[in-house]
Amino acid sequence: MSLLEPFHHAFMIEALLVGALVGTVCAVLSCFLVLKGWSLMGDAVSHAVLPGVVLAHLAGLPLALGAFVAGLFCAGATGWIKANSRLREDTVLGIVFTGLFAFGLVLFTKVETEAHLSHLLFGNILGIERSGLLQTVAVALPTLAVILTLRRDLLLFCFDPAHARAIGLNTTRLHYLLLALLAATVVASLQAVGILLVVAMLVTPGCTARLLTDRFDGMLLLAAGSSVLATAAGVYASFFLNGSTGACIVLAQAGLFALALVFAPQHGLLARHRAVAPGGQAAGI
Amino acid sequence: MRNGVFAPFEYDYMLKAILVSGMIGGICAFLSCFITLKGWSLLGDALSHSVVPGVSLAWLLGLPFSLGAFAAGVLAALGMGWVKQRSRLREDAVIGVVFTAFFALGLLLLSLYPSHLNLRTIIFGNILAISDPDLLQVAIIAAASLLVLGLKWRDLLLFCFDEAHARSLGLNTRFLHFLLLALLSATAVAALQTVGACLVVAMLVTPGATAYLLTDRFGRMLGIATATGAGCGLVGAYASYFLNGSTGGCIVVLQTLVFLAVLVLAPKHGLLAARARRREAALPTA
Repeated sequence: MSLLEPFHHAFMIEALLVGALVGTVCAVLSCFLVLKGWSLMGDAVSHAVLPGVVLAHLAGLPLALGAFVAGLFCAGATGWIKANSRLREDTVLGIVFTGLFAFGLVLFTKVETEAHLSHLLFGNILGIERSGLLQTVAVALPTLAVILTLRRDLLLFCFDPAHARAIGLNTTRLHYLLLALLAATVVASLQAVGILLVVAMLVTPGCTARLLTDRFDGMLLLAAGSSVLATAAGVYASFFLNGSTGACIVLAQAGLFALALVFAPQHGLLARHRAVAPGGQAAGI
Repeated sequence: MRNGVFAPFEYDYMLKAILVSGMIGGICAFLSCFITLKGWSLLGDALSHSVVPGVSLAWLLGLPFSLGAFAAGVLAALGMGWVKQRSRLREDAVIGVVFTAFFALGLLLLSLYPSHLNLRTIIFGNILAISDPDLLQVAIIAAASLLVLGLKWRDLLLFCFDEAHARSLGLNTRFLHFLLLALLSATAVAALQTVGACLVVAMLVTPGATAYLLTDRFGRMLGIATATGAGCGLVGAYASYFLNGSTGGCIVVLQTLVFLAVLVLAPKHGLLAARARRREAALPTA
């Protein structure tokens, strides 16, 4: 089998393009989540969409709408319980998202849906249908546009909410906007990488980029670049390995992160090692 | 399928499933008191996903699955600590990167080399089909965890509640940290077949939080949590016979319902009690 073989199949080309789009949206959002410390939130919202998908199917509504509402409901319910009890936020989040996910599972076993559970959970980027493709593009492009337009406000909110409030930004609205963007991104990624692996797309590229640069716009570009590269490499490798595509994408992301961790020019392990060695001698004198 | 109230008890596999679910529910709940105090929900979720590649590798090497899973969990925990120390990333981000990499590796291995536990079992659990050797492994892990927790619970409590104070008293907090991580991995392995990798975190968070709303004393919290966890395990597995639904899903939904009831009705920290207090406080001024 030749190395160019994957490019002779229409489904592979489609998968590479969808992967690039989804990878970009997730990566751009991941920069904010990593700065804000919302990894668990990404994990929670992505799991919580399951009952929404099943209920939307029952009600005859678009699955994406149900998923979006369920994701927002998880975040809203967590905020409400947190404000009205003495529990920590991470605890409440853990309870709410697992409760919703389990509810979704029980519903799923009781309801006949045309959606395959394994496709919802692990994505099905190689077999994505025309309608799914349209849905992904229709959700991903507006989400990306909103994030990029409001990136300054969102950045300040993530980095220093008190300062954001002091200069007159509506932080409550930004908080919910970021949650809505998160839910929309999860919905857009559902077809490609699935519920269980989307959290990797929402955390790893931001971390990789943060190790490589100190400037936020640079971080956005590097995150998107690394994510697109990893998605393409994962899709390409899975063709030859004949293994789970979503898993290959995530492993490629992790591989790029490991490279950045070791070789990043300023914050990498090697750079730190070099920086410490002369300093250590100086201190020893 | 028979439909009487006692019908589930007439099947050996149901009886076994109900008892094992109760036992694992109880042990997870015991540990959950420490996890909720320490704020380690994300770590619980992360470690329960990280054990997956271990299951697959153990199968390939011909080792017991729980050994491989436990090793993978500990390795992931060490990896997280190592990356955290050597980078400028926040802890939650590092946990996210490491556990998703482990989980993805597990999925890839399972898609390439199917093991005796199929993907569905690992993700969602399948207590109804647990084999006797696997049951024995789970029982050993459970007994060992319970023994360690029983012996060390006072030290662990102090460590979770106030690490600096624990250190100043001369406790070895590094050791306690690793002990808690090891217990977490072990419990995640034990719970894997009951509720699956995705829902273990519910067993490790919800009962502790439920008990925390009911009492201010830790000893009592341990008792209430363990009773809730074990009770939900027993009843959830029993109910899954009639619902014909996923056992893990039923157990976790039940735990969540109990939590919601307690959230509203708890005598001191519940929503109704808080509302009554507010009304009382408002009366004299009105």
